[in-house]
Amino acid sequence: MSAPAAVEDLLRALAPRVLGTLVRRHGQFDACEDAVQEALLAAATQWPAEGIPDGPSAWLVTVATRRLTDAWRAESARREREERVVVAEERVSGVAVADEDDTLTLLVLCCHPELSAPSQLALTLRAVGGLTTAEIASAFLVPEATMAQRISRAKATIRARGGRFALPEDGAERAERMRVVLHALYVMFNEGYTATSGAELARAELTGEAIRLTRLLCAHLPDDGEAQGLLALMLLTDARRPARTDADGALVPLAEQDRSAWRAEEIAEGLGLIAGALAGAPLGPYQLQAAIAAVHAEAATADQTDWRQIVALYRLLARVTPGNPMVSLNHAVAVAELDGPRAGLALLADLDERLAESHRLGAVRAHLLERAGDVAEARAAYLAAARRTTSLPEQRYLEGRAAALT
Amino acid sequence: MKYMIMIYDNAQTREHFSGPDGKELMAEVDAIMAELTESGELIGGEALADPSQSKAIRLVEGVPAITDGPLAEAKEHFGGYLMVECESFDRAAEIARRWPSARFTPLEVRPLMTHDGAEM
Repeated sequence: MSAPAAVEDLLRALAPRVLGTLVRRHGQFDACEDAVQEALLAAATQWPAEGIPDGPSAWLVTVATRRLTDAWRAESARREREERVVVAEERVSGVAVADEDDTLTLLVLCCHPELSAPSQLALTLRAVGGLTTAEIASAFLVPEATMAQRISRAKATIRARGGRFALPEDGAERAERMRVVLHALYVMFNEGYTATSGAELARAELTGEAIRLTRLLCAHLPDDGEAQGLLALMLLTDARRPARTDADGALVPLAEQDRSAWRAEEIAEGLGLIAGALAGAPLGPYQLQAAIAAVHAEAATADQTDWRQIVALYRLLARVTPGNPMVSLNHAVAVAELDGPRAGLALLADLDERLAESHRLGAVRAHLLERAGDVAEARAAYLAAARRTTSLPEQRYLEGRAAALT
Repeated sequence: MKYMIMIYDNAQTREHFSGPDGKELMAEVDAIMAELTESGELIGGEALADPSQSKAIRLVEGVPAITDGPLAEAKEHFGGYLMVECESFDRAAEIARRWPSARFTPLEVRPLMTHDGAEM
């Protein structure tokens, strides 16, 4: 979409509402989704030139409905010419757009547990986020045809699995589906946050979209501590973005970041959210990760970090997400800060098997060996980790650390 | 994760594909390509021209020296590639294993580097 920002923002905000109206009226999520996408594209070209219509939602519903009936007519003509299926002409004047906001239902449907994480993200970005296939393809660095295929396959899977446009009524099933939605939004955020420079910048927009969608979710679930915790985690992490890479796109570790460059507004909002969530709701992994990010955000310098509190939070996190080796790895880092590098290295010994192939374990071991004064071993560990990573900025960083040790 | 599946050939590989079994082998190729397109895993792929058509370029004391043929004189040469994005290395390896030329010559599955990176 090359529409001006104001039109684009409006269209993205209206997208889930218009889609929800159509699906509730006609069923057939996949056909409706295509029709809404076409209506959004039409609006993106017409509105900037002709002005935003008085009832923008009704305009979109009307155009999308027309596309939908056109598509049905074409299909039935092709399929059963002799049967003369007559499709009722949609009344296009005085269209009612439901007051109900279907964002939550759409999120649950798009994050269908039978879909792979990349498919969940692609479909969510299109159906709930109102992004075009071209935009999503460029964010994921794949050809548009590839992304179009993934989206239509995702919709076909949902149809084949009988995915319904309704929130599960059973509390346990609903909780499980919400867990999948939160995870998809978390992955979407990380996809964007890890982008560093150059060709990857289109990916960075994914963080903004993930934050926007999580905000929408939180507005619908004001009492869900994990949804609030996830939004807090995203904001507290995103606040560090200006400091996490230098001018050349090289990674800057947390301890060496210029904290004055962190975004104060995002930090303030994140701290407020996590304080509220921790005070009320039952503890969950997103709240705990946000709480850890909050401790970092509250330290004016790296030296002032309250590592005792971070170690305690990682212990709690390990308890609610048992068997997660990345949590154990981060716990070891925190213990090393509190009790010295040898204490951290001792904890890494237990991790070797599960993370043996991971460059992250090698990178952490290298750091701790360096701090413990084992220069030769640290250097070898940095180089081994550099060979394992598939990230160019990480490789550059690890090779740089090794080079500094000679 | 994106992977390049590197397809190696030798002097005989392409003859298999133009010989009596060629039609069946090409049908297998078409079936895999259709499967990868349908699943949204296919990013791209091309076949390279015969190595007799390649020239190697190297700088000798700053002056480009151009020689006929590929760099290494080996029994097998790099003949083409598939670019895929898969859920796992195992899935990429499975595609390579089913590629019909695997019966004659090896393939190599290599993850692509990215510009993404996490704070270390």
